[in-house]
Amino acid sequence: MDLEEEYDQGYNDEEEDITQEDAWAVISSYFEEKGLVRQQLDSFDEFIQNTMQEIVDESADIEIRPESQHNPGHQPDFAETIYKISFGQIYLSKPMMTESDGETATLFPKAARLRNLTYSAPLYVDVSKRAIKKGHDGEEVTETQDFAKVFIGKVPIMLRSSYCTLFQNSEKDLTELGECPYDQGGYFIINGSEKVLIAQEKMSTNHVYVFKKRQPNKYAYVGEVRSMAESQNRPPSTMFVRMLSRTSAKGGSSGQYIRATLPYIRIEIPIIIVFRALGFVADKDILEHICYDFADTQMMELLRPSLEEAFVIQNQQVALDYIGKRGATVGVTKEKRIKYARDILQKEMLPHVGVGEYCETKKAYYFGYIIHRLLLCALGRRAEDDRDHYGNKRLDLAGPLLGGLFRMLFRKLTRDVRGYVQKCVDNAGTRAGVSQVLNRLTYASTLSHLRRLNSPIGREGKLAKPRQLHNSQWGMMCPAETPEGQACGLVKNLALMVYITVGSAAYPILEFLEEWGTENFEEISPAVIPQATKIFVNGLWVGIHRDPDMLVRTLRRLRRRVDVNTEVGVVRDIRLKELRIYTDYGRCSRPLFIVEKQRLLIKKKDIQKLQQRETPEDGGWHDLVSNGFIEYIDTEEEETTMISMTINDLVSARENPGESYSDTYTHCEIHPSLILGVCASIIPFPDHNQSPRNTYQSAMGKQAMGIYVTNFQFRMDTLAYVLYYPQKPLVTTRAMEHLHFRQLPAGINAIVAISCYSGYNQEDSVIMNQSSIDRGFFRSLFFRSYRDEEKKMGTLVKEDFGRPDRANTMGMRHGSYDKLDDDGLAPPGTRVGGEDVIIGKTTPIAQDDAQGQASRYTRRDHSTSLRHSETGMVDQVLLTTNADGLRFVKVRVRSVRIPQIGDKFSSRHGQKGTVGMTYTQEDMPWTVEGITPDIIVNPHAIPSRMTIGQLIECIMGKVAAHMGKEGDATPFTDVTVDNISRALHKCGYQMRGFETMYNGHTGRRLTAMIFLGPTYYQRLKHMVDDKIHSRGRGPVQILTRQPAEGRSRDGGLRFGEMERDCMIAHGAAHFLKERLFDQSDAYRVHVCERCGLIAIANIKKSSFECRSCKNKTDIVQVHIPYACKLLFQELMSMAIAPRMLTKDVKQAKDSKKKGA
Amino acid sequence: MEGASYQRFPKVKIRELKDDYAKFELRETDASVANALRRVMIAEVPTIAIDLVEIEVNSSVLNDEFIAHRLGLIPLTSERAMSMRFSRDCDACDGDGQCEFCSVEFHLRAKCINDQTLDVTSKDLYSSDHTVVPVDFSDTSSGFENPEDQRGITIVKLRKGQELRLRAIARKGIGKDHAKWSPAATVTFMYEPEIHINEEMMETLSLEEKTSVVESSPTKVFGINPHTQQVEVVDPEAYTYDDEVLKKVEAMGKPGLVEIYAKEDSFIFTVESTGAVKASQLVLNAIEVLKQKLDAVRLSEDTVEADDQFGELGAHMRGG
Repeated sequence: MDLEEEYDQGYNDEEEDITQEDAWAVISSYFEEKGLVRQQLDSFDEFIQNTMQEIVDESADIEIRPESQHNPGHQPDFAETIYKISFGQIYLSKPMMTESDGETATLFPKAARLRNLTYSAPLYVDVSKRAIKKGHDGEEVTETQDFAKVFIGKVPIMLRSSYCTLFQNSEKDLTELGECPYDQGGYFIINGSEKVLIAQEKMSTNHVYVFKKRQPNKYAYVGEVRSMAESQNRPPSTMFVRMLSRTSAKGGSSGQYIRATLPYIRIEIPIIIVFRALGFVADKDILEHICYDFADTQMMELLRPSLEEAFVIQNQQVALDYIGKRGATVGVTKEKRIKYARDILQKEMLPHVGVGEYCETKKAYYFGYIIHRLLLCALGRRAEDDRDHYGNKRLDLAGPLLGGLFRMLFRKLTRDVRGYVQKCVDNAGTRAGVSQVLNRLTYASTLSHLRRLNSPIGREGKLAKPRQLHNSQWGMMCPAETPEGQACGLVKNLALMVYITVGSAAYPILEFLEEWGTENFEEISPAVIPQATKIFVNGLWVGIHRDPDMLVRTLRRLRRRVDVNTEVGVVRDIRLKELRIYTDYGRCSRPLFIVEKQRLLIKKKDIQKLQQRETPEDGGWHDLVSNGFIEYIDTEEEETTMISMTINDLVSARENPGESYSDTYTHCEIHPSLILGVCASIIPFPDHNQSPRNTYQSAMGKQAMGIYVTNFQFRMDTLAYVLYYPQKPLVTTRAMEHLHFRQLPAGINAIVAISCYSGYNQEDSVIMNQSSIDRGFFRSLFFRSYRDEEKKMGTLVKEDFGRPDRANTMGMRHGSYDKLDDDGLAPPGTRVGGEDVIIGKTTPIAQDDAQGQASRYTRRDHSTSLRHSETGMVDQVLLTTNADGLRFVKVRVRSVRIPQIGDKFSSRHGQKGTVGMTYTQEDMPWTVEGITPDIIVNPHAIPSRMTIGQLIECIMGKVAAHMGKEGDATPFTDVTVDNISRALHKCGYQMRGFETMYNGHTGRRLTAMIFLGPTYYQRLKHMVDDKIHSRGRGPVQILTRQPAEGRSRDGGLRFGEMERDCMIAHGAAHFLKERLFDQSDAYRVHVCERCGLIAIANIKKSSFECRSCKNKTDIVQVHIPYACKLLFQELMSMAIAPRMLTKDVKQAKDSKKKGA
Repeated sequence: MEGASYQRFPKVKIRELKDDYAKFELRETDASVANALRRVMIAEVPTIAIDLVEIEVNSSVLNDEFIAHRLGLIPLTSERAMSMRFSRDCDACDGDGQCEFCSVEFHLRAKCINDQTLDVTSKDLYSSDHTVVPVDFSDTSSGFENPEDQRGITIVKLRKGQELRLRAIARKGIGKDHAKWSPAATVTFMYEPEIHINEEMMETLSLEEKTSVVESSPTKVFGINPHTQQVEVVDPEAYTYDDEVLKKVEAMGKPGLVEIYAKEDSFIFTVESTGAVKASQLVLNAIEVLKQKLDAVRLSEDTVEADDQFGELGAHMRGG
């Protein structure tokens, strides 16, 4: 073969090999071309470009025939007209917006965000109407009328997808449009809020799984298939094939019967009966479909009980009747039952094999295959399947999720097409939690959110298995980045270089297989199956092949030449004699270098070509793939490969083949650090940390402040934090380059000392240098936006922005209205605080309901005031109209947050702490060079947490600062502490980073040397000023009159059960009463001493009365909690009389007797 | 308390003096005095810094508070500071800090009119008092830098059409209140080390071992005399008390080969100024301030009110 000759020539050149460093050029080209949210964009583009049209084409024509209104169903014998409506080509324009005055213009994302619009594009479809008239003479006259481009609805457009207005705009154009050039898109804008569709994990369909049941159980083994035909929007039809335990629950016969479930059939059907119902009556025929090889006595033996069980049913009709009897229909004729059973077998059983007629052979083979697999497992020849294997998982991204919605809505549209229907495809689908508001706290948190993945398995389930990291997730899912607690392990994040397949047609593969000698079931006899290899395409058994070796080689070669789609997965299972080919969507795959004869196919000259290319457009990643240097390997195919971890492994394997791990490498990792996700890639030296620390940091990095997008000044986010002076880290990882962490950093290179100094940094608190804070260290901005609109109430009444007038407005707020301008808005630059009103709005009150004295008021106040615990300056005011043409306002308030005691900070190693004390420069310890640390952390934070990475980061930072270079902290490289130490020693410092320091208060030398150096620190969003809370008295709930809850409502602090227990233990009865009664919901009632029920009291007139007892004298005052009084009243309403007896019970009884 | 006198007479020897840098020896005193001097230099020598900003127009990308903070950090020449009044106890203006005795007014007007980005720097600040101006760094003969880059401290960058107009008031203050009033960039001292080499023992070492001893110290404290091949102390003050040599010697099995002690009464000071006050003046001012503080203590010692003012300290000093 000519290709191989080419390779041979390559091998002769020894120098041409690439190094690990060169791999980064390849990685750069990948990110240059693909960006970081490619999976979202690819998926959406696939939906827009193909899926949407397919869904429309799929829908059958709508047929309408006139029916006589007087007797429906009766066919009029005179001329009849049938109307047929069919949908053709669909058209999608660029995102548009129609103003309330009818003007239509292109919509840009910036406007959509600011004006709370939906970034969506109108969808048009060609509709043709055919009127078929039947004349009296039976002649048909067809009249066709075409309506081109009929508007049917709006589709939200994913930002930066090919239909977005920003698609392929240059950086400069993006800035001009008010967009951040670093923003990657991949989300939608729905009513002004950015929404991400979180990828959903599911089990792959059309796949046979065999599980062993844990005994004791009725069943020993269960085989299952979740069958779903392509382009079918129904829930998958699951078939179970179960083998009973040797001693079934009843302890009866020892028969290991095998039975299958069929859809809509209540009871499991013995498999042999299913075969007979399919038309395979003879035992031999059936056995041929199951175990292919009659010499396999073990397997045959296992089938014996099943055959015996079905002995009584010996023809197809009886078998069908047997099934039909167990169906949903009862009391119908035998013919109907048989038809019903036949329909189920044809349409409902294993629909992916086929739902048409004459699929029986295929179905029988597939059904037999399921049983075959079950038996293999039962015989112990093959292990049970692994539910958590990632090859068995598929990811539903934006495309399929939207596809499902669109299909549903389009169906609905076709159903009620008579009326003009406009339907907006909204993201809020049937499933909850799929669309989330995009996190915009830090750039990294945004990126990570766009690459998130959810497994919709019950959070409560205590099953640990699905949460655990599985071997097959290597390189696909980030091993560190997952939340803690309930969703741990269920919410995952994609690794940096994962590609999720968008799906391609199976048709070209089928054609190829046909051409290359695959034999289908019509051509073969079952006896040849054991010798040949079974070929599956997307889980469907299409035939057998006798030279799989050649077939696989050709397929792979074609794939590497891009003659076959690169995302096709080719899995050859030699032991099972199966060849599985996948073209479906949602598989995880990742690129790998191709290795042949222990040598990478990519050579130094290819790297040079890559680096020397002029524009990013020509060559690049795409060429690397099409030249066959790199290919995408999915999770299942990965198991049939031999991947070397590093390029050096290949070199050493070549040099001493005897000692190498493998002599048959097929692929090589591009770089092992790419197994990490977005947040974990920011951690320096993660390979030197205890693994949970990396997980903690992955969660914390999302709360760090920095610059979250470059256009933050033009945005009106409800909450935003921006750091005054962000710095790029001194110690970086290579992956950061592609995450733009240097351009949009979230932290500061602080000089950190690890020391005990004065004791104000105990228990994860830190001491901070007040002088540094004065100079702007970790100073940040906080923005909060308030929004309001003039709502329309009814047709005439409309709310109005404006300064409310005390004279005619009721229900005005406590705060000051002075800061409002005449337009009812606080102008930019106004200092606002407390409960100051910043948006004034009033509603007219309907005058007709005569409320007598209230007539002075004509309006009601609906103003928005600042949160009572916040202060700031009005930063920006936006007044515009929303989609309904109503006036709409957003006011952004800004405040400066200076670090203070109680604010939270963290390093990049899961080491968080709050400020425990600030010291001015002269009080801080100093070195001979006069350096004072910015932060002092306690050494006790280190040993038990084992964040060695932080220590290495520190000394590498020190070296980097001295050499004026960035330190490389990429994991899995050969940087050693010794190397860094040596460099530090050369810089004139103690090699391990220790320095002699002097006490700032006394001037004495500290006895211990202090570990000191620059460490990248992050400021986290949790700040004391947002949390500080106390209350003496304040608002109470209306119902119970107990203090309200929560800081935002100025609520009380709960004195809970455990606190109560303490007080009881102390015997502090009065204190307890004060907390739970006097300070809570104290109330007094007047009680009739005779009946013990609440009496009428008029304190002013000092008249008391219990009407039922005709008692005006024996009335006492009782102090009870208001909640208690409420309970009593509720009880009374249920005709239960709770009596409060104030005298002794005996006395009460006596008085009762007397009364009687 | 009245018995023996511990009075000592510290000596100062100046080693190096530049506008913004000073290095001197302080001998015959203790760490407490040396540290007091250091602390006063950093935190209590008064300077002048912008304290109040009234912004007329600001259409720059930075918000008002941001610019005000940046203005505050610009060092201003503060020779006058010692004789100025704190605005809080200025009689002339009732403490509102707007009079000539306690404040200096600045103006800044900048607008970008062409396509080139305009850097607004400390040079654009116009002072009402020629003695109080932003520190000019180009004067210090650093030499190697391009004079065109010496455009002062950047405050904000303006793009076409953006404008910044403001009035700023500078006041006297001390570094304890806010770091912007600190005249010192760095003040540090070290205990003078005393290094002894056991020559006899050293002779037993091979040249290779000698070099390894010399190189074990990260700083150039020791050297090998190229003629005699002997290990010598090249620069004792380069020693940072890192104990590396001692550890090395220990590891070689020769404890006592090198011995290092810190002199308890001899300090080497390094002072770097921000430019607000000359380094030499900074030291003098610090001594002045220190004296004033001591006076305050002494004066109050025999007054009754001192009890309120100094509480426990006063009682302690009276021998309580």
